[in-house]
Amino acid sequence: MSSDDPQTISASSTVDTPAPAEAAGREVERRSPHLPRRASDRRSARPLPASVLTPPAPPPPPHLDDYKAIVGQSQLDTLRYLAKELKGKTIKMINSTAVGGGVAEMLNRLVPLLSELEVPTHWDVITGGNDFFEVTKAFHNALHGAPYQLTQAAKDIFLMYNEQNRRRMQFGEDIVVIHDPQPAGLVLSRPQTPAHWVWRCHIDLSNPNAEVWQFLRPFVEQYDAAIFSSQSFTQQLSIPQYLFYPCIDPLSEKNKELPDSQVQEICDEFGIDRSRPIVTQVSRFDRLKDPVGVVQAYKLAKKYVDCQLVLAGGGASDDPEGAAVLQEVKEAAGNDPDIIILDLPPWCAVQINAIQRASTIIVQKSLKEGFGLTVTEALWKGKPTIAGAVGGIPNQIIHKLTGVLVHSVEGCAFQIRYLLTHPEFARSIGSSGREHVKENFLMTTNVKRWLLLFRILEHTKGRRGQVS
Amino acid sequence: MDTAENIAEKPVLRKPQKPFYFNTSEHLLRIGRQRASNLLELLEALQTVPDDSIFQHTFRTLQEHHFIRQGFSNDFAHWSLFACNEPALAEQLASVDVREFTAIEGLRRRMVEILDEFLESHKMSGSRPAHEPFYFCSADIVVLPTAFCADTLKAFLDGLNQVSVHSIHHHFIEARLRLRRMSNDFSQWLEVEVGLAEAADAIERIDIYTNTMEGVRRQIARIVSQAMN
Repeated sequence: MSSDDPQTISASSTVDTPAPAEAAGREVERRSPHLPRRASDRRSARPLPASVLTPPAPPPPPHLDDYKAIVGQSQLDTLRYLAKELKGKTIKMINSTAVGGGVAEMLNRLVPLLSELEVPTHWDVITGGNDFFEVTKAFHNALHGAPYQLTQAAKDIFLMYNEQNRRRMQFGEDIVVIHDPQPAGLVLSRPQTPAHWVWRCHIDLSNPNAEVWQFLRPFVEQYDAAIFSSQSFTQQLSIPQYLFYPCIDPLSEKNKELPDSQVQEICDEFGIDRSRPIVTQVSRFDRLKDPVGVVQAYKLAKKYVDCQLVLAGGGASDDPEGAAVLQEVKEAAGNDPDIIILDLPPWCAVQINAIQRASTIIVQKSLKEGFGLTVTEALWKGKPTIAGAVGGIPNQIIHKLTGVLVHSVEGCAFQIRYLLTHPEFARSIGSSGREHVKENFLMTTNVKRWLLLFRILEHTKGRRGQVS
Repeated sequence: MDTAENIAEKPVLRKPQKPFYFNTSEHLLRIGRQRASNLLELLEALQTVPDDSIFQHTFRTLQEHHFIRQGFSNDFAHWSLFACNEPALAEQLASVDVREFTAIEGLRRRMVEILDEFLESHKMSGSRPAHEPFYFCSADIVVLPTAFCADTLKAFLDGLNQVSVHSIHHHFIEARLRLRRMSNDFSQWLEVEVGLAEAADAIERIDIYTNTMEGVRRQIARIVSQAMN
């Protein structure tokens, strides 16, 4: 790499989480996401700082009182009151993976907090073979709108593993929550239990493959209620549908407060100059995140304003498509030394946190998005945020109030220029964005939503199926 | 320094017969079946959706966006601007102050009137597709007690400063639907139980659309503090 090149610093794995097919319980060779990758995997143009080569030990999970300084005593009182009314009730959560993936990450925080509130919550994971997870991965993509020919064999595999798990599991709790389509068929046990059954759909169902959706829909309609992450992700169903926004944990490594000295140290390690404006996009190297579009927008903006561009992500080292996208990004970046491309391993949460905190503006110029958690992370750090007006992002960014929405490279470029030259407006939307997250997208709000739902379900006891 | 004249003007504070119980309300958003893809569909839906849906997109959305000082009034106005690109309609819808209504039916009628009149004079706008649909939602609401109960003005101020903004919204904005009066729980208590009619009136006049809910809390506290001194 010449000294003029955009700085590409890479490692070996994705920042994002594994696809469903890489789930725990799967009977395949797995490599822990917490183990350093083989040196031969790396495509580093420049060695990573030593501090990111090995994963740090995971911190202990926070307790409820740890959130007091963030959300206030009154919010914790509300949680405790709601929980008190559920005393004696038990919950079961079931998904398809214990590690990796946003759902597992969320359950890893939610389950201990519910238990601390004395709402005993058991978390169970379904098991299946390669064939099951191949089918469910195909279902996942098809439900997002990808073309797919549903075969009888695929249906049989899905039904067989759901039946196996159904026979293996007990459903003695008061409320059973099934996450995502993989275990959706467990609902066939509902008639034999007194429990309320809830389906939590974490994926975008706004444009599903019709065949796959028609196959799954009869299962979904046997639940007492369904939960979606955005109004636009829903389907017309005969059961009540609730809206739960995905949340972030303000105490996680990715989002906790950092001392400025640590932010400075991490920026120094990556060659990021904090004395000049920094525009950042954090996302894996995926065409749907439009990193090339971000480079183009930066170049248009840079004709008017001085700034650096940081593209921090992963996915280039163990995903052929990610590697191709990284190459496209490098080509688009050309020889601009102010473009810093970071291909980071998945355990670099603190580094991502520091880069976000050091940024002047954060961009998430996705072309398609479920619910952009990186947008929530940026808003939580009070950063003026520019994002593509797609998927669930308009729930997070209220245009010109909690951030700005864009529809094109040109629009993104203009907003970079505008925000860099109007710091007061940038500060104002950054501050409102943080409040928006505090009100709607934090882990404590997520706990509250679950408690409210459990309470509503319990109040309909004896009228199962008539939640609304 | 107090003069004989302003001492005479000071209201006589009574010991409240009934304490003020600070409650709060929490809600779970339910996604409805109706949606609108253009302004004509919005008009049709506005006339038929349940009351709790109108409540959600007007009263309740203010709570969800309590931190915004300006530019957010209700979901119908917001959608008219950003999904339908109709700033004039958005301004008219945004000018509707939910606190002028003590029942949802009146609020619904006002929204329908504005939209109907607009579409009468902008016939092309009605069927133009919006950038994104309007999804009608409603909320399952749960009212909860808080740790605060006031039987003196000092305890009232203490509670006011410590409860969540959801509690402020519950007592200050949603209360008129409960009371069916152009008032709020704070003003009611201060006037009826403590005899602070002027303070009650001043609190009722606080502009919620140019304040955050924290700002509303601060203004109420200031008015009560001044009345105490």
